[in-house]
Amino acid sequence: MRNPSLQPPRPRIRYVSPRFQGPAVLAFAGIIVIGGAIFWQLVDRAFRWIFLHAAIRGHYTFDSAYEVARDLLSWHLASLFFGVFLAGSVLVLLLVAATRRGIGKAVDSLRASANGDLSTPTGSGPIGEFDRFGGKIDAARSETLASVRKIRSDAAALATGGMPLEEFRLRWDELKQQIRTIAP
Amino acid sequence: MSGPEAAVDGPLIRRRYVAGLLLRLCVNTAGGVGILAAILYFSLSRPLPGDYAGVFHALRNLSPFLRPILAVSVLVYALLACGSTAALCVYILHRVAGPLYRMELVLDQYRSGGPTRTVSFRNGDQIQPLAQAFNQWIGALRRDRQRWLAAMMDAERLCLQDDATCRAEMEGAVRKILEDMARYH
Repeated sequence: MRNPSLQPPRPRIRYVSPRFQGPAVLAFAGIIVIGGAIFWQLVDRAFRWIFLHAAIRGHYTFDSAYEVARDLLSWHLASLFFGVFLAGSVLVLLLVAATRRGIGKAVDSLRASANGDLSTPTGSGPIGEFDRFGGKIDAARSETLASVRKIRSDAAALATGGMPLEEFRLRWDELKQQIRTIAP
Repeated sequence: MSGPEAAVDGPLIRRRYVAGLLLRLCVNTAGGVGILAAILYFSLSRPLPGDYAGVFHALRNLSPFLRPILAVSVLVYALLACGSTAALCVYILHRVAGPLYRMELVLDQYRSGGPTRTVSFRNGDQIQPLAQAFNQWIGALRRDRQRWLAAMMDAERLCLQDDATCRAEMEGAVRKILEDMARYH
């Protein structure tokens, strides 16, 4: 019986795919930076006149500058929150739709393969990672189809007959060996 | 070949996962905006001087003074929000990226001719129908292989009789295999 304490710890697999997660991170960062830049521009412009306006009006019932800018800041902060959140939500939904489309095509392609269709291309998704993955599936399918075709041509040669029994036996064994290599 | 067929064994991306992602994004955005609001609150909440002239001059000169504070607070917000959103993307999207990575490894193993095991993803992983579809394909290939080999074995069993019968049985088995293989295109 093995002592579990002597076994090396199993490495934790994090499964980070920069090709898939990287563009998503960049897109979210873009939304945040654009939102922040718009907020900065609008609030900076508003600050220029709001304090000047308050000084000229001369109603000094404010304890601090925050009281002057409170409504304006609340409005702009709320706009920033909703703007960034809504744009981020749209991005999330687009990502989900692209994943459903890309992986859906891969799933359909594998199901078609189970029914014998190994030649119809998987089709490319809108995200490069799914396109590359579809290419890998297609490569596996086309290699399987090549094996099947090779077996089929050898089997056809055997079925036609006419060859000596010794050669027939030899090719029969080769055919059996080739069949064993399918989905080992 | 599109979505509806893929939905037979369950959704590729569960609604709960999407809702969780949106909720975390909402909390993340709210946190970032909250930090920005806190910075601006502490910058603007200093009490104004009590006398008329002091307040007048303080308010008049406040705008240029607030400019760098505003720029720095927006920069802090952008950095914090980008950092937390990046962490969120890595944490949440690995439920899709992980299974994809695993499937790539399995496909590479299959193409190299090594033994292919049944694929199953971790609990909580998305795109589960992908594993089911792959297992279905490999299962169909294995069933066909077993059937073809069984047909050949059956023919070989009859080789204990005379050569002519043996040859006829073998040719019959090969024709049967050929008919079976015709569905692959």
